[in-house]
Formats: sequence, structure tokens, C-alpha cells
Amino acid sequence: MTASEATMSHSASESKSAIPAPAGPELLSVRGIVKRFPGVLALGGVDFDLRRGEIHALVGENGAGKSTLMKIIAGMIPPDEGTIHLDGQERRFEHVLDAQDAGIAFIHQELCLTPHLSVAENIFLAREPMRGPFVDRARLRAKTQALLDGLRVNIDPGAIVKNLSVAQQQMVEIAKALSLNARVLIMDEPTSSLTENEIDQLFVIIRSLRTQGVGIIYISHRLGELQHVVDRVTIFRDGKHVRTADFGAITLDEIIAAMVGRTLDQKFPSRTSHPTAERILEVCNLSREGVFQDVSFDLRRGEILGFAGLMGAGRTEVARAIFGADQKSSGTVRLFGHEVTIHSPRDAIRHGIAYLSEDRKGHGLALEMQLAANVTMANVDAVADRLGFLRFGDEAAAAEKYVKALDIKTPSIRQIVKNLSGGNQQKVVIAKWLFRESQLLFFDEPTRGIDVGAKYAIYQMLDRFAAQGIGVVLITSELPEVLGMTDRVVVFHEGRVAGVLETGRSNQEEIIQYASGQKTRAA
Amino acid sequence: MTMNEKRRDLIQKFAALGSLTVLIAVFAVTSRAFFTTTNALTVALQVCTIAYLGMGMTVVIITAGIDLSVGSVLALGGCMAAVLIKGGMPVWLGMTAGLLLGCLAGLLNGLFVAQLKLPPFIATLGMMGVARGVILQITGGRAIAGMDQAFGVLGNGALFKKMTIGADGYPDIKFVGIPYPVIVMVVLAILMSVVLSRTRFGRHVYATGSNNEAARLSGVNVYRITVMAYVIAGFFAGLTGIVLMSRLVTGQPNEGIAYELDAIAAAVIGGASLTQGGIGTISGTIIGAFVIGILRNGLNMNGVSSFVQQIIIGVVILLTVWIDQLRSKRSTRVRVFANQKQVERSGAPAEASEPARRAVE
Repeated sequence: MTASEATMSHSASESKSAIPAPAGPELLSVRGIVKRFPGVLALGGVDFDLRRGEIHALVGENGAGKSTLMKIIAGMIPPDEGTIHLDGQERRFEHVLDAQDAGIAFIHQELCLTPHLSVAENIFLAREPMRGPFVDRARLRAKTQALLDGLRVNIDPGAIVKNLSVAQQQMVEIAKALSLNARVLIMDEPTSSLTENEIDQLFVIIRSLRTQGVGIIYISHRLGELQHVVDRVTIFRDGKHVRTADFGAITLDEIIAAMVGRTLDQKFPSRTSHPTAERILEVCNLSREGVFQDVSFDLRRGEILGFAGLMGAGRTEVARAIFGADQKSSGTVRLFGHEVTIHSPRDAIRHGIAYLSEDRKGHGLALEMQLAANVTMANVDAVADRLGFLRFGDEAAAAEKYVKALDIKTPSIRQIVKNLSGGNQQKVVIAKWLFRESQLLFFDEPTRGIDVGAKYAIYQMLDRFAAQGIGVVLITSELPEVLGMTDRVVVFHEGRVAGVLETGRSNQEEIIQYASGQKTRAA
Repeated sequence: MTMNEKRRDLIQKFAALGSLTVLIAVFAVTSRAFFTTTNALTVALQVCTIAYLGMGMTVVIITAGIDLSVGSVLALGGCMAAVLIKGGMPVWLGMTAGLLLGCLAGLLNGLFVAQLKLPPFIATLGMMGVARGVILQITGGRAIAGMDQAFGVLGNGALFKKMTIGADGYPDIKFVGIPYPVIVMVVLAILMSVVLSRTRFGRHVYATGSNNEAARLSGVNVYRITVMAYVIAGFFAGLTGIVLMSRLVTGQPNEGIAYELDAIAAAVIGGASLTQGGIGTISGTIIGAFVIGILRNGLNMNGVSSFVQQIIIGVVILLTVWIDQLRSKRSTRVRVFANQKQVERSGAPAEASEPARRAVE
């Protein structure tokens, strides 16, 4: 807790009072915000305060109203009731640009940069320094360089954005926000697609922004990382403000309890399944030219196998190749002792393999379609008769079942998926693969962006599948998840298997050593 | 269909349905001959070709594609049927051959798109030239006239036609009957609507268009679905060809130029989206086809010049789609930031106005 102690003392010197006070020299003060959507009360009169030079975490389960409040603050949607004060002055934002002019910047989980333009062009989009009718390219570059230097990030202002990593793109977004003189910075799940190293870098930058007096609202489901940066935390539940506390004055367990409205004894369920000798999956020397090489591992009945490694190490790519989403260049895959040839996801699904993608919007959901249609997408046959006519009753029953089992918050199973919150969308993708009833599951980051309660439910499900003899491969960036749920873990490093470890005899440090290439061991 | 779904479906069609109602009301007042059974059947007959092509186009548009070749393919299918029948083939067989030729052109379109990964716009633009060129070459650019009367039955015949031979020896028509093309339209519209909304195939078509990669990873055979969509569009083009040629009792290799734009306009007025796959309905497209057909018919009856007609139709297309945009914007106001894919496709709105602009020309 040394990091958080340091931050605590820092914030204490900045703000006059350690107790969260409703009034005072707040940078941003939100009172009694009410927002109704058709059929849902998204926010039931919430208060929220942000001080200068403060990093304030906003946490809550999916659908707690965090995103809605942020959208209201950023001028994206108007509140039905309530007031927003910035620097003690009441403000009404009719439009995103109003809020932007007032110094409020919102960095979304899904970054919104123009992929084919350069870093500099993105940052000064529609505000390019001009010389006569032409863009002053030299000044554009210099101004961008100055901003990036100020953040101490090493990105070429002329680089095309689509060639940057997600972490770098995020830095560009932050630079853009600063170029707009943002005083309030809203960050929605900023670390969800970053590696450990990149997260550390991000935190350094966030802390330096704090010393410049920027107020940062930090939304994250990764409670563990809050201690490294956060001064205060506010907890929302079901559209209501539950509690605001200095981070040092509240424990993680208390936060979780406030979020879910009950106490969760454990983050992970105890495992009921036990590995047997029988092999469900045997992968031998699997390679994909230029992506991964000589990957070999096996999966036993009753076992949950983890895939760990840094971003780009080949975890997802190996799973995709086994699933037939990408072609492999060599190697064999044996399923229940028989060699199988898989050329397409259709082949894989026919063999009873499921692959839940980490990219739910790009690869998981038909956003314009209804929840029910998404749930049955991988298994339409199950709700169609022999002639191919859909049995809507069966479909509705299936959808209702999973809405209930996964606690998906939706007004109806006919809701267009696009209108659901991110976490609920993720649950819909999970429901799709549960409805398929497969023999072998690849779950790629299944809990990303999902609340604590739902995470637990998914963990329980994984354990139950393993106990039923279904093979489970859990691909995850979160080491606690690896340690808490898997029996063995395959650690990838730069497209190769760095080691296969018994989870029970390993620890976080050892996995990181393998993942970073400091240690290798033949499988 | 649940109530919720039905209501949404209705709202979807509101813009098109609204303009259709307004049109009928206006023309009923301004022209005495407009609001009669006879004229209704005339309109229906005129609408048939747009509706046929529109239905095929709708399926393709739902898969996030477009088919520019249908105007040419209808000439190819219809004229080849005429050529074969003139050469001695039985009428039914010649017409079937025409339909199959349409399907074949569609199959090639589908393979270009699914196998060679050509953009649909380009693939079908190529086919547009090829199909037209082939039939012009075969016929030497000349109409195939002097066809047997049997060739004209499909296009000119009608069911429940009631007439008596009057005292003067001339036929006295009591009821003009329901033209065969109209019956075909109604039957196919119901069939296609059921296929798209109530079958596994239809569900896969929407899934493919809504998110191709998600559909593929869910085990949907997106290759087959894509090819099938173009085959269906080709089938409807072939059908339009034989019906049109049958009505003229002549094979016309220059028939159908720019008809693809009417078909696209009908689909778009009916709520299909050129910027985003997975959206569109058969019933919407039929309404769209009627909007265009009634507009032409009513303006004709009011003696509006064909030049002015084109202006009006162009404006109506713009208005209808604009109203529909407003509606969908309101319902999705919560989601303000488009995802990257949509941003990348930002060239698409320009395409959307393309058919409208072209229709005016």
C-alpha cells in the first residue's frame, strides 16, 4: 500500500478536508441528477463531487449508472433533473462541444480517433494551425511534439494512428484532451486493453496530471489497480449514490460490499472439478506463419486450462487457429483422441468447440439485432424446425433462461443489443455460447468489463462445465483470474509457449517471469 | 412476432407509410380517375417490376451489399427467353431458362463478392456492363419481335377477368381482372417476407449483414448466405425480365436501363440502410415501390410533365429517408459515439444519396 499512502498524503495536502464534504471549493459538483430512459430509471437523483488535482474513482456494477452520469457531465445527453456546477458556476451543456469548451474531456473505453490520420492531425483535428489557407504543418508538428513531451511519451507526431498500439492511442487521446485545456478528465476503463507495463506508464501520467490540478474521474472494474492512483472513491448501485470515501479509509471488501449490496466472501468460487488423466484436447506443434510457432499443450477432462501472456504473445491467435477462425500453417489438433481437421469456425462448432472472442463488438455481437437473436445466433438450428422455420416461442424461452441465469439487465429479450450497457452485452455473448452447449470452450477475456457479481457467476459456470467434463480454456490478462480459477496455465511469450505451469505450485511472479521471457521451460 | 417487435417494425415503416398515405389522399382529391379499382390495378401492374427488383435488392442490401446489375440482368434473362422461344423452345421452358440465366448472373456476382472479395459495388458494376453487352451482342441490338401470343400471356393475362361480348360484337369488359404479374408479386412478397423474418436462412442473412465476422465466428455460413443473396437478386431480375418482355410481347435488349436505381430507392424508402447491413424488410420495400409507382401514376394523371416528375420523385426519396434518419437518430440518442467501423465507412452516406441523385436524372 505504499503507493496509495503516497497518493493519500499528496491529496491531503491539496484538499483542505479529508472527509468528503458536499459543499466546498469543488471543481465539479453534481447535485440530484435524475435520468430516465424508456422503462428504466438510470439515475435516481445522484450527487457527485470532484476536486482540483484529485483522482476520483467511480465504481459500481454494470447498469449502476456510472456511464450515464459521465455522459451527462460530458454534455452527451441532457439530465431530466439536477444541476451541474463547474467552479461554483451552474452550467448546462447542450452539446459535447459546450462541455469541451468548459474544460471537460471524456476518454472512452473504445477510443475514438480517426485511424488513417496522423497523431498530430488527430490531436488538432478541426483546430489545425493555419498559415493562410494552408495547414501550417511545421507548427502542427511542433505543438504536438510539445504536448507529447509534456506527457513524457515517445510517439512520433507524424505516425499514423492505426499503426499505434492501444496504449499509444490512449496517450494520443489524453494529449488531445490536454490540448483542449481539459480540467476535468473522465476516463472510462482506461486500462482494460493495456498490458501491465503500459498500465504503469499510464498511472505515471495520470499522477502527473493530478499535480497540474486536473481533476480525474476514473471508472474501472479492476478494483485492484485503484490503490495505485486513486484519492477518493464513489460507489454507485442501481442508479443511486451509495457512498463516497477517501480511498485510505475504505477497504476493498467494503467497496465490493457496497457495490453489490451484500458481502462477497470470495472473489473466486472454490473449485469442485478435478483434472483426470483423460485428454480432451491435444495440440501438437501448431504454427501460424509469422504469428506463433510450435505450440504444444493438452487439456484434460475436468481441468480449467489458463492461457496467460502479454498482449500480442499469441494467446488469442492460438485459440483462433484451433477454432478455424484463422488458418494454421502446420501442426495437429486431436480432440478426444482423434485428429480433427478444422478449416472454418463452422467445422469447429460442429466438433463441439466454442470460441468466445475478446472483441465483443467486432466479433461477438450483431448490434442491430435483438438480444434473443444474438443468443441463438450460434445455434439457430435449436430453435428452428426441420424446414428451417423459426420457433419464436422456443427462442424466447432460451433467451429468457439466460437473461435470468446471467442476470442480464434488459427491458425485454427483444431489446436491440446496441442499447444494452457494455457489461450486459458481454453477458449476451456468453449466453450465445452457453446456448450452443459445446464440448470444448475457449473463453477469451470473458470477464472484461463485467461487474463483480457477474464475474463470480461466470467463474462458477466455468467450474461447473469442467466438472461436467467439458474442456475449458480461459484466456485472460488478469493474473488473479489465472491463479484463482485454473489448474494449469500455458504461458506464452512472443508466439511461443514459454512454459506450462501447475497453477497450484506457481505464483504471480513466476508467471510474469515466463510471460516476459525471463524464464523458459519446454512444455 | 411479439407486440414489441411489431411496433418497432411499424415505426420503421412510418416514414414510407406516411408519405404513401399522403400521396393517395392528394391524388384522390386532385384526380377523379385516380381512386378507382381499375387504376389501382394499373398502378399495381406498374409497380410490379420495381417491387420484384426491390425484393431481391433488399436481400442483398441486408447483407450489407448492393446489386447494380439487375437492370442489365433483366434484359439478359428476358431477351434470352425470347430468343429461345422464338427458336422453337416451349414458352414455359424458355421462361425458366431466362430465370435460370438471371440466377446464374447472380451466382457470379455472389462469387465475385464472397470468393474474390470484390466490393459489391464494383463486382455488380462489372456485371452490369457484361450482362448488357452479352445480350446486345446476341441480339445485335435489335428487338426480337413477332413473338407468339403465348409469350404475352404472363405479362398481359389476368385472373377473374369478366367480359361479355356485347350486341355490337365488341367485348364489354365488366372487370379487368387481377393481372398475373400482380398475383406473382403478392405471392412472392409474402414468401420472401416469411423467409426473411421467420426462417433460419433469413436470420442468417440479417446476422451476416449486421456483423459479418460475428456471424462467421458463430458458425453462420456467411459465404453461402452472401452468394445466395445475389442469386436471389439475380432470380428477381430474371423474373422482371420475362414479365416485362412478355408484356411487350417482344424481346427488348435495351429494356431495364437504370432500373436498379428504382429498386434501390424502393428499398431505401422502405427503411433499408445502405450504410449499415442487417436493416431492411420486404414489406418496407413493397411500400417503397408503391410510393414510387403511385407518384408516377398520380403525377401522370394530373398532367405533370415527366421532367417535373423526376424532380418530385427525387425530392420524395430525400425527404422519406431524411425523416427515417431523424427517427432512428432519436431512438439511438444514447449511443453517441459511433464505433470505429462506422467511422471508417463514413464515405457511405455519399453513396446513399447516389441513387436518389441518379433517379432524378
